[in-house]
Amino acid sequence: MVVFLRDLLRYRAEFRIGLVLVALVLLLSVLASFSPYSPDSVYVVPPDLPPSLTYWFGTTSRGQDVFWQLSFAIRNTLLFGGTVALVSRLVALAVGLVSGYKGGWVDRALMSVNDTFIVIPLLPILVLFYFVMRDRISWLMLALIMACFGWAYDARLIRSVVMSLRQREFTQTSLFSGMSTRQILTEEHLPYVVPILFSTTMNNMVWSIGLEVTLAVLGFTDINTPTIGGMIYWANQHTAMVAGIWWWIAFPTIAVIMAFIGLFLLAVSVNAQIDPRSRLWSSGEAT
Amino acid sequence: MRRISALLLAACVLGSLLSAAVEPSHAQGIPQNIPRKDLLILENPEGTVKNAGWFNIWVINASSQSNGLQQVALDTLWYIDPESGLDGVWDNSLAADKPQYNADFTEMTAKLRSGIFWSDGVEFTADDVVATVMTQIMNPAMRFSAVLASNVASVEAPDPHTVVFKLKKPNSRFHTNFTVRWGAVWILPKHVFDKVEDPVKFDFNKPVSLGAYVLHSYDPDGKWYIWQLRDDWQRTTLARFGKPGPKYLAYVDPGPPDKRVIAQLNHELDVIHDIAPEGMFALAKQSKTTRAWFKGFPYGHPDPTLPAVIFNTQNENFKNPDVRWALALLIDIKAVAMAAYRGAATISAIGVPPTGTHPAAYHAPLEDWLKSFEIDTGKRKIKPYDPTVGKQIADMLRPSMGEQIPTDPAEIAKAFGRGWWKTDPVTAQELLEKAGFSKRGGTWVTPDGKPFTVRVMVEGDLRPVMTRAGTMIVQLWKQAGIDAKIDVAQGTLPTRRAAGDFDTFIGWSVETLGGHPDLSYFLDSWHSQFVAEPGKPQPLRNWQRWSSPALDKIIEEIRTVGFDDPKSTELGKDYVKLAVKEMPTIPLMAYNVFTAMDQTYWTGFPTAENPYTNPVPNWGNSRYMFVRLKPAS
Amino acid sequence: MSGYAGYVGRRLAQFLLVVFIGINIAYVVTHASPIDPVEQSISAVTSFGNTAPDAIDQMRNSLRELYGLGGTPVQQYLTFWKRILRADFGPSLSAFPTPVGTLIERALPWTAGLLTVSTLIAWVLGNLLGGLAGYYRQSRGLKLMGVIAMGLHPIPYYILAMLLLILFGFIWPVLPISGGATMNLPQSLTPEFVWSVLQHAILPALSLILIGVGSWFLGMRSLVSNVIAEDYVVYAELAGVKSWRILTSYVMRNALVPQVTGLAMSLGGIFNGAVITEKVFGYPGLGSLLVDAVYAGDYGLVLGVTTISILGVSVGVLAIDLLYPLLDPRVKVS
Repeated sequence: MVVFLRDLLRYRAEFRIGLVLVALVLLLSVLASFSPYSPDSVYVVPPDLPPSLTYWFGTTSRGQDVFWQLSFAIRNTLLFGGTVALVSRLVALAVGLVSGYKGGWVDRALMSVNDTFIVIPLLPILVLFYFVMRDRISWLMLALIMACFGWAYDARLIRSVVMSLRQREFTQTSLFSGMSTRQILTEEHLPYVVPILFSTTMNNMVWSIGLEVTLAVLGFTDINTPTIGGMIYWANQHTAMVAGIWWWIAFPTIAVIMAFIGLFLLAVSVNAQIDPRSRLWSSGEAT
Repeated sequence: MRRISALLLAACVLGSLLSAAVEPSHAQGIPQNIPRKDLLILENPEGTVKNAGWFNIWVINASSQSNGLQQVALDTLWYIDPESGLDGVWDNSLAADKPQYNADFTEMTAKLRSGIFWSDGVEFTADDVVATVMTQIMNPAMRFSAVLASNVASVEAPDPHTVVFKLKKPNSRFHTNFTVRWGAVWILPKHVFDKVEDPVKFDFNKPVSLGAYVLHSYDPDGKWYIWQLRDDWQRTTLARFGKPGPKYLAYVDPGPPDKRVIAQLNHELDVIHDIAPEGMFALAKQSKTTRAWFKGFPYGHPDPTLPAVIFNTQNENFKNPDVRWALALLIDIKAVAMAAYRGAATISAIGVPPTGTHPAAYHAPLEDWLKSFEIDTGKRKIKPYDPTVGKQIADMLRPSMGEQIPTDPAEIAKAFGRGWWKTDPVTAQELLEKAGFSKRGGTWVTPDGKPFTVRVMVEGDLRPVMTRAGTMIVQLWKQAGIDAKIDVAQGTLPTRRAAGDFDTFIGWSVETLGGHPDLSYFLDSWHSQFVAEPGKPQPLRNWQRWSSPALDKIIEEIRTVGFDDPKSTELGKDYVKLAVKEMPTIPLMAYNVFTAMDQTYWTGFPTAENPYTNPVPNWGNSRYMFVRLKPAS
Repeated sequence: MSGYAGYVGRRLAQFLLVVFIGINIAYVVTHASPIDPVEQSISAVTSFGNTAPDAIDQMRNSLRELYGLGGTPVQQYLTFWKRILRADFGPSLSAFPTPVGTLIERALPWTAGLLTVSTLIAWVLGNLLGGLAGYYRQSRGLKLMGVIAMGLHPIPYYILAMLLLILFGFIWPVLPISGGATMNLPQSLTPEFVWSVLQHAILPALSLILIGVGSWFLGMRSLVSNVIAEDYVVYAELAGVKSWRILTSYVMRNALVPQVTGLAMSLGGIFNGAVITEKVFGYPGLGSLLVDAVYAGDYGLVLGVTTISILGVSVGVLAIDLLYPLLDPRVKVS
């Protein structure tokens, strides 16, 4: 493992860059615990100041320090996206593997459930949830609800890959050697599915965070918990874009982009290192 | 190499397509084939109209009202101006004279003008008024059915220019239903609706106008409506004031607030209905031709509406006026004005909006009473009123805003308001303790031993300024040890407000006529006869569900007094004093609407220096603006 | 092919079941909404007028009758289904008495047009770039393009849309930023109108494409990285087949199949509308119709748009499931 990581660091520029980016973002979210201001207090600093040495990222129209506000926001947003991604991956994996491999009525039953989740349009349901739950809705609840809707699409994707794997020779071989379904799924098929899982995790996180921002722009946000969507919501309420308070919007956006490019580079370089062919290619290049 | 050349080819094709598509967007956001110098473009705050081809305003909720329909196409008996009016506050529009009541207010007679014609050539007569009333009484689900059916016993037209209403019960303010303060009961054309089988299903497309403009064209997707000046505009009531300047009017949906600012900077939007204060400041800074109601700070036009913290007085915690007073004394109105309006607010300590003629009729005369008003905390008596708060706000803003802030005390009082309650946490504590509350370890606890929780309901995105005010108030109360929370009721506020499903909310239960001191427009609905049981829906406007025998007496007396009788103003002052003592709501400030007017193509807009009407474009009264607008040259 | 015919039959049954369940769920959730369309109508009428409080009760009853909200919940449910089977969604409660169908009809062409084109362009572009990037691993240019595509993808859509608007509508005002077509231009199939529609669609489409390319790119890239490890690809490379040929005939053809699944579902999903696009660019469409309907508690309109959306996505998924065995010969239908 240590050798693996050392090789990654030495040979893969993407891994290094990705690591730096992700580390910066994580550092920012950890710093939130040291914030001199409570996340929901307003008018604690002079409003609308551009970035300077005292206020590194400037201040908002609500008299908050953008740097500290962002540290809370990026932490909450990443936790949110991570939770959604984790829960929905587990469900998608389980459903996709079983459904794709078993086929028959198990497949049909699971796919009917899956399809029902795919076809229900998400936005009106979320908006209605907000109306019904009102102040009881917390980001955790929202994350779970979005996870409920986020597994269906990817389960289908995994299922289609497994369906074609099922017909392959090595599957037949494993079956004849007496491996159980569970063994086949985890030991033979899973490695093929893992790269897809990675990329769908990224997609899923981007999707859930994007949906959170959409809801925030429409006004459905828990304004007591700062998130990236929440910051954009308030920036809108104060028409920050035309008022020239660009730093209120730019820095959260940059933080999100950094987080995702970082994760992307990490995933890509780890994937490439795992695959022996490309590892040989790049080692050859480096020496 | 083939792939690179393929990609290059694709890029070239795309690029050439794009460059063919671009042209100066100057001509993109405005109508074709209409000379810009004859066109006035205004914002329709209703946004994109869902059912664009529907012009039957008499059906509830079927379509748009402020797409120009009520402003320039329709007309009714009287108009009352929220400002000073072109020729006085009261305008006899379709009526020739003021309403005549009999001695006990059970009969109202209106004499009508002659020589007014509908746009299809038919003359306006008293039959139209009768048809308006009877059609809606006979079809109970129309817009004005309920109010007409509950008031009118019979209506007749003894001659083509006289209408006589016999009322079911005495009502000295029945005429206000036909008096435009934003909107009113609009007159419908008898000759059109007679031919219609079911008025509720009739779309009235193309509308027949009684006002000075007719429909020119409209967008089936509901984003714009264009109206054209009638050739026979002299045969309308607006003609008394001259020929309207703009030949064409376009009411459009300009999109989110950022876009409205951009549109006006591009000179593609002449009148913005409302934007956030920051947007207004940005416009004022970047555009030399933009003009708001006030020349400088605070820019916005104070509507005759009074945002306040409205308590649900049926709620156990808020039954005691001492608790309400304590919460009021914990509010720092300067901070709230800064949070909500960036300071561009006109504050008011009393339950009457500080706009129109009210400062002269109520705020100024009551100033002395307010200064000497005392409350008893149980331990001592104090005078909570601070007359200098308006000036303090002005002083606070002067360093950053410079000469935009007036220095003359009279100007400051007009722009920022007079005084408000001192921020006094010590007195607040004494009042809460008097009410049986106690402080345990920094947080307040009710007499029942439960933590004192207050939820402040706001409307979120739909009313951003109110949301900002609410957030600040929550913070101030939290700092005092009260468990205060903000509760965003996006979209559900009207339902929850009516149901009483809230602790407090930021909204208004006070709306007045503006130009006239009579308060019954809202005050009548505060009578205890209309207060609903807890759990039942409350009709407007007494959202705080406050009943008081003293208030009932005042209201009943006003009902017996004529509309223009100065006694009703005196009774109004009695209401103000009672509301100060009881504090059923905490009045904050006037509802400032940041209407921005671009003078690139048109000049002559109403302003604070020349307040001849209300420029806010969705008001029916804004039609008086059109006769004063001249092309800028 | 009787195996396939049986498969089609079973799949169709599944399709009908899913649509039925979906519409029921939509019905239940809509009616569970705390927003009462009658109260919304009343508050819309009375917030700006002087209406006597005792008149409101009368209005409430009349409206309830008019909107057909009388009767028990079971009766309402049955009426709803009777109507749906005749493709009649009833009147819209927030724009009474216009039928829901009329409102949807007006908004649908705009949404369908814009989203179909943007989805297709994003799909083609994303898969092309993703395939190239996955195959030509070492190419710096493609890696950079990948990073740009991935960089655009997580930008909150609203920010990107506003940036484009400010850039092309204000700083360098060369493209229209509002509406579906030029104001005051009659809606007919004249070249003038068509050209205006295309012009007005550029910015909304551009914003959707920029955001959409990233996810297709990422998916294709990883699928391709899977495929190039396959024996037949290695064999082809060793056999000296041109790399461009390997890319198109061997790699992409196989990697593309799951992406086609995604495309069909995305196309089905366009009936959801793109709310933020419509809000920012003032573009007419289903998205804002739906959100406004939810605010107004307009059951009929919410159910109408939701049903169309459910049908759209279901048909998309059905089409894919029926075509998939035909596309990938390795998949046998049991």
